[in-house]
Amino acid sequence: MIKESLAQLVLEAAVSSGGDFAELYMEDGTSSNITMMDGKIETAATSRSRGAGVRVFSGFRSAYAYTADTSDEALIGAAKAAAAAIKDNAAPSIIPFRPYDASTAPLIPISTVTNSMRVTKMTEAYRAAKDYSDELRQVVVQYLDFDKNIFVCNTEGVWAYDRRPRLRMAVQAVAADGNDNQTGSCSPGFGMGFEAFEKIDPVAVGRDAARQAVTMLHAADCPAGVFPVVIENGFGGVIFHEACGHSLEATSVAKGNSVFCGKMGQKIAADCVNAVDDGTIPGAWGSIGVDDEGTPSRRRQLITNGVLTEYMVDRLGSRRMGIDPTGSSRRQDYSFAPTSRMTNTFICPGSDDNEEMIRTMGTGLYAAAMGGGSVNPITGEFNFAVREGYWVKDGKIVTPVRGATLIGSGSDILMKIDRVGTELDMAAGMCGSLSGSVPTNVGQPRIRVSEITVGGKGGAI
Amino acid sequence: MDYKAYKKEAFDIALKLGCTAAETVFVEGQSFDVNVLEQEIDSYNVSRSFGMGLRVELNGKNGYAYTEMLDDPEALVRMAMDNAAVIESEDISPMQGQQEYASVALPENPYCDADETKKIELAMDMERRVKAYDPRIVRVVDSGVTTGSSFTNISNTLGLDVSSEKRFSYAYLYPVAQQGEEVRDGSAFRSGAQMDEIDALVKEAADEAISQFGADSVDSGEYRVIFRNDAVASLIAGFSSMFSAESAQRGLSPLAGREGEQIAVEQFSLIDDPWLSKNPRAFDAEGTPSEKTEVITNGRFNSFLHNLKTAQKAGCKSTGNAGRPSPASPVRVSPTNFCVVPGETSYDELIEKLGNGLIITSISGLHAGLNAVSGDYSLLAGGYLVENSKIVRAVDRITVAGTFFSFLKDIECIGSDMRYGLPGSTMYGAPSILLSKMSVAGK
Repeated sequence: MIKESLAQLVLEAAVSSGGDFAELYMEDGTSSNITMMDGKIETAATSRSRGAGVRVFSGFRSAYAYTADTSDEALIGAAKAAAAAIKDNAAPSIIPFRPYDASTAPLIPISTVTNSMRVTKMTEAYRAAKDYSDELRQVVVQYLDFDKNIFVCNTEGVWAYDRRPRLRMAVQAVAADGNDNQTGSCSPGFGMGFEAFEKIDPVAVGRDAARQAVTMLHAADCPAGVFPVVIENGFGGVIFHEACGHSLEATSVAKGNSVFCGKMGQKIAADCVNAVDDGTIPGAWGSIGVDDEGTPSRRRQLITNGVLTEYMVDRLGSRRMGIDPTGSSRRQDYSFAPTSRMTNTFICPGSDDNEEMIRTMGTGLYAAAMGGGSVNPITGEFNFAVREGYWVKDGKIVTPVRGATLIGSGSDILMKIDRVGTELDMAAGMCGSLSGSVPTNVGQPRIRVSEITVGGKGGAI
Repeated sequence: MDYKAYKKEAFDIALKLGCTAAETVFVEGQSFDVNVLEQEIDSYNVSRSFGMGLRVELNGKNGYAYTEMLDDPEALVRMAMDNAAVIESEDISPMQGQQEYASVALPENPYCDADETKKIELAMDMERRVKAYDPRIVRVVDSGVTTGSSFTNISNTLGLDVSSEKRFSYAYLYPVAQQGEEVRDGSAFRSGAQMDEIDALVKEAADEAISQFGADSVDSGEYRVIFRNDAVASLIAGFSSMFSAESAQRGLSPLAGREGEQIAVEQFSLIDDPWLSKNPRAFDAEGTPSEKTEVITNGRFNSFLHNLKTAQKAGCKSTGNAGRPSPASPVRVSPTNFCVVPGETSYDELIEKLGNGLIITSISGLHAGLNAVSGDYSLLAGGYLVENSKIVRAVDRITVAGTFFSFLKDIECIGSDMRYGLPGSTMYGAPSILLSKMSVAGK
């Protein structure tokens, strides 16, 4: 992507004002985005994005400049613009580059995929959803693929390449009965080329979205109050992502802005909780070969039998925390400076029985499918939406319920997990934070939380 | 290649290859952002960006392509044509030539012209002042200043060639307060000409954090509530796609087919006002001249927001609400300045009228707990408990739930305390609103 001599000049310009570290990041990507409404392709768009960013550190300070223009002059200009923020005396020598190429080519790169191949898959998903029930008013199928090559080099000798293919299909179904609209959705994604369709069955995706919409159309309003909640595997893992994951990122830990600051080696979760963030899972939606600072991807054991064992740390966070970077630095694209982020984050399988969890829960909520959520890492307060819920009375599922929200604080909820099932599953999501929106997987086996505040507008069932 | 030469070449190639029309949108921007921590620069960001979006019309269908490399117009045209070839929708997405445009005065942004030192000093000053404001303010997460500008040109083969410039600047402050083990946060911003109101900004952010000490949940049940102005604006933003004709025509809005219906109490009106002096624009993403749209008037639902495509399908005129989230995105529908019309009751008078109940000052999780297709919401909320018209304590860990339509029908009184969000492609504004009932989940 760049000649060594030019990279050297850019890094020299970046540290010319006395910075003690500099980094150059470049990317070149293409993407395709197609939307189908009511069985007809409505829009199709292709994008080519290309740009670079230069970052300089001086102690805990950082400066970042990015440019869409990747000419020699523009790169040096960006380096000088970042250097302008630093006035210091360090004079780092640039350590000779150690080339490392983490890119692996997808089996079926999207450059070889035609629009008609894409549309065929979308049509299958649409038909499966539409044929599910005559209560379906609308089915929206979205298809997204991209393929991005990235390059990072720095004054400490990093010279790394990565290639990040991604493919995702999302079906949103709307069921209606004249007074009421309810939605269902299913949106699997993989870090692969078109071979992702070995994993994605468009028929199953369409049918699942449709089933959820129809079920919610006939659901009661969820009762409000404090109840035990069983959360299904797959996207249910969003609870860990929000309630705990964000608060273990250096982004919040390094500056003392997390409820889990200073808790290393301490118990932060129930004994049955083991949790991992693993960027190396082949073909997973959140996987990376190297992170956006060129550190090779790896697996991080965040929680071991309830004890905090690892944070997710980027280079700048590493300086404040005195912990080595963990290969966790990510960004949406070159228009963001990278920071510590999650990749594929999940609660590990336990030993509890799926049926027993519900049978012995008394009255509460079974959250079969979760929507998204958010957290305030400072207070640990989180919230997330339940897409498909069922009310449980005396250990038996009695009716589907809609409009449920789960709220609480992360430190509290982790201690209240009292069952962890055996079947781990993961699901794709987009995670938004300081360095933009990045693909992440969330995951868990079925779990139970002994009590959690359930928001809804319904009365007793 | 410069953008003018690039677009001319792209147009020539598109027409030669059989397209009946082509349109480009070119956006170029620069920005500066500085954030301080403990009186040192913590992060410093500068940028230069540009991108060229192309839309072609081929056999009556639109195809899109976008690039950040202005090197090969023919490749871009061919990509767009390839995308047009798969479109199956029968709806027509027209382009149009040059129209008559009013001129708009750019809002003042004194910090855009300030030198870097002055911006850094403002960020430092905010941090010093907020820490001096109260000993319980222990640190800041952010104390920063952002400035920038962008240039947009939309051109097509039918003669459209319009440009606009935008400048933006804002100061933001995000302090953390601690008392014993209890940690609370607050935030505030000021934009444009208001950036020098540092004392007000500091007070707002610090008070928000400090006033949350001792917060607790409340018993689940039905409460009289005031939604504070910023919470109303967030809710309106979350449900805004309901008012898009595109959503309605796609069967994704519960308002489809309900024009003329009384959907809110008589005091409630909602407008889309592109002329608002804080954030004006003369034309939309298709070059349609701006116009003000009365979306809800005295509770009656008047009109969806339209672009050329939805207007043609509905047999009406575009309301000037074509929007493209980025030059890479297809043309959609988006509001300009989407505002609830204020009433005449002050915030303090609303609290007087509330008597006993809750003031909701924050709602979160809108991307997940709010569904603009069904109209349902169920959101994490925080605020204050009010007894005998006096705030008695802070409230957290509750949810508020309902439908957007019950919200519009349960309005008892609309405040006069209009507040606007950040200027941008869409700006939301609202006063505080007193509601006779709201379903709350807590203890």
